[in-house]
Amino acid sequence: MITRAHLKDAFFAAVPIMLGYVAIGIPCGILCDSIGLNALQVLILSALFYSGAGQFMIPNMYLTGAPLASIIASVSLVNTRQMLYSASLAPECEGASKRLSFLFAATVTDESYGVSIERFKAGDWSVDRALFVNLFSQTSWALSNVAGVFVGSLVDIPLPIASFAMTSIFICLLFMQKLTAPNIIAAVSAIIGVYVCKLLGLAGAAIIIGALIGVAFAFAYCMVVQRRKGAR
Amino acid sequence: MSWDEFWIILVSCGATMLICRVAPLFLLKGRQLPERVILALNLIPPAAFAALVANDILSPGMFAQGIWPAGAIIVASLIVVIVAIKSRSLLWCAVAGVVSYAILLLF
Repeated sequence: MITRAHLKDAFFAAVPIMLGYVAIGIPCGILCDSIGLNALQVLILSALFYSGAGQFMIPNMYLTGAPLASIIASVSLVNTRQMLYSASLAPECEGASKRLSFLFAATVTDESYGVSIERFKAGDWSVDRALFVNLFSQTSWALSNVAGVFVGSLVDIPLPIASFAMTSIFICLLFMQKLTAPNIIAAVSAIIGVYVCKLLGLAGAAIIIGALIGVAFAFAYCMVVQRRKGAR
Repeated sequence: MSWDEFWIILVSCGATMLICRVAPLFLLKGRQLPERVILALNLIPPAAFAALVANDILSPGMFAQGIWPAGAIIVASLIVVIVAIKSRSLLWCAVAGVVSYAILLLF
């Protein structure tokens, strides 16, 4: 059930994401304004598409004169990583209604996935709280984007520094993982995987391929350990 | 960008995004998952967070222009690691990361 207490839990869990989204949402709105998108279009995009990486890629690629089909293909490829989050959240949605699960799944981002999966693993979380983490984050993202359209180029937020807020959140989530051998193998091989993807010119798919490599190596390790235990 | 172009992008990107976000969850939800599948799913968070971090801070040729300022992002990341281990707080990590990266870039 959605209660005041759950809303409060969700809000406090979402605060770091909301602040980060202000920092990168405003520059994103400014960029969208520069290709002639208006506040309403930016709001619709944030409400129905809702992707930080995607909403930066669209204007950036449009500015370089890329055809619509290649913008759509590149943005969709980058967002395939969402499939991993979706699969990983499935066991947590056991017992939640279809409607609630759908609304929750449809509004997950890298950051809100990270926050909610940690709370789910800690055992004091629920799908309704997780949905509200998503919605608070999305509200912050949408309003910051619209604000960016209105301020236009009046303010100058250095994007590399602002987006490091997101990187910092991912670093924190990474180091909150349990220090087990499988987790360490997953993380290290994912990092190498991402780097190799970039070396091969596969930057667009680097996150999902890197993460899959991490899962595969750690999974193989667990299987070998299991087999050895069985043989003994 | 015209409204026509806008709708094409919104509907296409929105549709692929929605499928990626929703389909795997509904394919797995409500099934008795084998132990091996659960194991693989539990490996997604460490692999995904590591991949996201690596994607943000590593790229081939990042030191082509010299070790600094490219090294600033690595040093800032190490500072965030310390804050993460000490505080386990996303908010403190974000603040520490942005402030230390901004300061390091001044050098």
